[in-house]
Amino acid sequence: MAVATQGASSGINSQNTRTLLRVSILFLIAAAAVASRLFSVIRFESIIHEFDPWFNFRATKYLVANGFYKFWDWFDDRTWHPLGRVTGGTLYPGLMVTSGVIYHALRALTVPVDIRNICVLLAPAFSGLTAYAAYLLTNEMTTSSSAGLLAAAFMGITPGYISRSVAGSYDNEAIAIFLLVFTFYLWIKALKLGSMLWGALCALFYGYMVASWGGYAFITCLLPLHAFVLIGMGRFSNRLYVSYTTWYALGTIASMQIPFVGFLPVKTSEHMPALGIFGLVQLVGLLQYVRSSMSAKQFQTFVITVLVGAVGIGLAGLVGLTSLGYIAPWSGRFYSLWDTGYAKIHIPIIASVSEHQPTAWPAFFFDLNMLIWLFPAGVYLLFQDLRDEHVFVVVYALFGSYFAGVMVRLMLTLTPIVCVSAAIAASQILDTYLSAKKPNLEEVTDAGATDAKPAKKSGLRVSSKPNVGIFTFVSKALVVGGMVVYLLMFVSHCTWVTSNAYSSPSVVLASRMPDGSQHIIDDYREAYQWLRQNTKEDAKIMSWWDYGYQIGGMADRPTLVDNNTWNNTHIATVGKAMSSSEEVSYPIMRQHEVDYVLVVFGGLLGYSGDDINKFLWMVRIAEGIWPEEVKERNFFTSRGEYRVDAEATDTMKNSLMYKMSYYNYHSLFPAGQTVDRVRGARLPDQGPVLNTIEEAYTTENWIIRIYKVKDLDNVGRDLAAAASFDRGQKKKASKKKGPRVLRVD
Amino acid sequence: MRLLSSLLSVSLLLAGSFAAKKTPTGRFDEFHAKSLSSSPVKLATSSYGSWTAAPRDYSAAVLLTAMDARFGCQLCQSFQPEFDILAKSWVKGDKAGKSRTLFGVLDFADGRDIFVSLGLQTAPVLLFFPPTEGPHAVASPDPIRYDFTAGPPSAEHVQAWLARQLPDRPHPPIKRPINWTAWIMGVGIFAGGISLLVTASPYLWPIVQSRNVWASISLILILVFISGHMFNHIRKVPYIAGDGKGGISYFAGSFQSQFGMETQVIAAIYGTLAFCAISLAVKVPRIADYRTQQVAVLAWGGVLFILYSFLLSIFRIKNGGYPFSLPPFM
Repeated sequence: MAVATQGASSGINSQNTRTLLRVSILFLIAAAAVASRLFSVIRFESIIHEFDPWFNFRATKYLVANGFYKFWDWFDDRTWHPLGRVTGGTLYPGLMVTSGVIYHALRALTVPVDIRNICVLLAPAFSGLTAYAAYLLTNEMTTSSSAGLLAAAFMGITPGYISRSVAGSYDNEAIAIFLLVFTFYLWIKALKLGSMLWGALCALFYGYMVASWGGYAFITCLLPLHAFVLIGMGRFSNRLYVSYTTWYALGTIASMQIPFVGFLPVKTSEHMPALGIFGLVQLVGLLQYVRSSMSAKQFQTFVITVLVGAVGIGLAGLVGLTSLGYIAPWSGRFYSLWDTGYAKIHIPIIASVSEHQPTAWPAFFFDLNMLIWLFPAGVYLLFQDLRDEHVFVVVYALFGSYFAGVMVRLMLTLTPIVCVSAAIAASQILDTYLSAKKPNLEEVTDAGATDAKPAKKSGLRVSSKPNVGIFTFVSKALVVGGMVVYLLMFVSHCTWVTSNAYSSPSVVLASRMPDGSQHIIDDYREAYQWLRQNTKEDAKIMSWWDYGYQIGGMADRPTLVDNNTWNNTHIATVGKAMSSSEEVSYPIMRQHEVDYVLVVFGGLLGYSGDDINKFLWMVRIAEGIWPEEVKERNFFTSRGEYRVDAEATDTMKNSLMYKMSYYNYHSLFPAGQTVDRVRGARLPDQGPVLNTIEEAYTTENWIIRIYKVKDLDNVGRDLAAAASFDRGQKKKASKKKGPRVLRVD
Repeated sequence: MRLLSSLLSVSLLLAGSFAAKKTPTGRFDEFHAKSLSSSPVKLATSSYGSWTAAPRDYSAAVLLTAMDARFGCQLCQSFQPEFDILAKSWVKGDKAGKSRTLFGVLDFADGRDIFVSLGLQTAPVLLFFPPTEGPHAVASPDPIRYDFTAGPPSAEHVQAWLARQLPDRPHPPIKRPINWTAWIMGVGIFAGGISLLVTASPYLWPIVQSRNVWASISLILILVFISGHMFNHIRKVPYIAGDGKGGISYFAGSFQSQFGMETQVIAAIYGTLAFCAISLAVKVPRIADYRTQQVAVLAWGGVLFILYSFLLSIFRIKNGGYPFSLPPFM
């Protein structure tokens, strides 16, 4: 790819040939972008990945089956039992509608296609478009013809973006990153031309973005910030006025059409910068106008009056409305971006998600490879000219890297700008060193004498001297050779990362047999299929929220909680049921009409993403609501260790989660050799005893274990007594053994 | 000593039962009157006994602490002001004593025997004595102990804990005193800063307008963020750590963690690499002398290559299976 782009910039003269080359290179880049995302389909199969995509897939199927208006009013009674969810009003419909439209369009063209395949392949298809959008955006920044193509190539294959857009990763980000980059392109275009048409287009795509992803707030904050910085630099112009006003007015109206967003754009604080800058732009525009028709003295008094008045009224209004409660405080997820300690203390449910953790440096390098050090270089190069659009890149780069540092997930929003500025740096180097022209020594000295003047006062110090070019072939060969090596390594790095790290569906796991052949572990689907075939249509399944969407999507059974974590209390209820003893959990499960409980256990296989490892978050979230009944401290030994073996605390051993995970586990091993391979712990030979639930199904590798909640005893005993009677123990013994141990906490 | 302490505790018990002879209501009024003048009340061995004696129709929160510098109790020092705020705002918000709650502090120096008799090894300990008589009586007269494991708690946190122990009674909210010095200092610094800016503006203005300054600020910030500084800030990672064999390890051996020193090394590497790229792209083509230019290309290109190879070798420490490398750090 790198070689191809260099070809485009070297000396082919005809305009038509260049265009043809450019189009074919862009097509090749798009093809490479799509192809590199197909690893998962080739390795595994055409399957929806992970967690959230299963909900999106289910919603899309509903949309395709029932039509748009039913989808809009969809009340889903099969999730969040017994509450249900107003799904139509609490989702971003952009993704589902996009695939629905594609589906119907293909049907109209009589292409027989399955909605699942559209969903699986949507993200790769849009990645091709994203590469094109990156090309357009970069071309606005520089005159170098190769920069745009390099940016498109980077964007197409960089792992930072592939991580969220492999085939099967049917999530909002699949289309949102394209919309993000394209909206930025339209904004730059509108700003450059001062055109209302481009501004309206920008608003239109902004509206599409709002319909697609909660990350739209990034645009909502970045564009006003750009405008603000420009005004602060004294670069207010009518172009800025027209483009910003058009975007804000139309974009806000467009965003309010989404039921989930509704009146948030005029209420919540994360939309306030946009509103405030809108006011500021009007004010500055007014001042500009007045200045042209007033004497300087009068104007000064006027400015002071207007400024003091406007700022005073604005501040008072903001404070007043906030204190009266009309304007919501920062939403938790957003707030945790600024005050980094906030989430840990106040909202464990946000802190518990691994995507919301801060980013260590290896993650940056892993996702961006060589681009990470070309990125600052590119930003620096933009300071040479520092036109309005370059200011945008600088502002974006600063905020993008801050946000990416705070939250792993926001690496995604940083990636486009990294690609753009790295491409600018790389193309500048390549353009300089690939030029066949050799500077003439005498000309150089002449030019040095005459050109010393135009060095701009405000420019960078490095660019104050005239550009003469590279003299020797050796220099050119060395630098170009180096760049080619780095670019080739970048391509192999991206391929390696994509195939190794980002192409696992996580529903299906792959492992290697001793002889090197691939072994597929398909326990998730096995369990979900079992639920689908062996339980009643409306059997309620209780599991930790991570698996809610998958159970809904694959097993088609109602769940108590799922990945749309809108109700913290309900999640804490499940956490409490999991972390309490059976006596406490059973009434909770009865109240919520739970029929089956599903746990994920990786001890046999060494699968570390299991429920015992997530258990502390269940405890913490439950503790947030019931601090007297669930205490994190009790799950740690007196030495502060989190253990599962014989040394585990009584609270731990009696918790429902522990019992369900290790029930009967010792029977797999010879006496004294029961081992949990994830935590490397040797377990006692006496396994836990279950009274109120019974094992219903355990998958091949024990990854999923399903338990049935027992009905009330038909002769009125409590279930512990009934269970111990069934085990053939005398009543006395059971009394001693059962409840007393269990009430320790 | 042992004999002495047991004697003492017996005498304490006796003192407590004598005190209990008084009607509990009368006791509460007396203690409450005392706490109105200064809250929390400083207790000693005898007053502790009478406060916590068994038949009581009020609740008491008693902080057992060791403020003396000799004990070096960090937690005591940091929690004491919070407890004072809690006690003050509670008593102020509940002048009539409707919640029937008292706040007391027993320092180790004043009540060594109590510590011994309770078998306390650590401080601070916050005990809550629920009422044993009256409408809110509980069955067990034993105090409830506050859990200090999560570091020094805020007054609000303890207030919420107390509120949970005291259902159906008023819970006066925390009112922190306005920190006048901080406000005056803040206003003063603000005004001073503004006047300094105004007077120095002829000198500052060129700096503010200098593109070089802004470029370097932006680059430094970007480098700080992309080298994982926010991770250090949030996770409070150590600067460096021992490797278990007496040496020092500068790089954490896992993909998900890092040390403070490590991020600085990485930031420096990124910065140098970026600087090499900038030099190659902008500075070198502007060198008018072809010999100097040749040397500059060799130097910058060489540094770039070697540092990138070094960066890859560091990355292989973090990610064991990473297959790519460049000479010389293979």
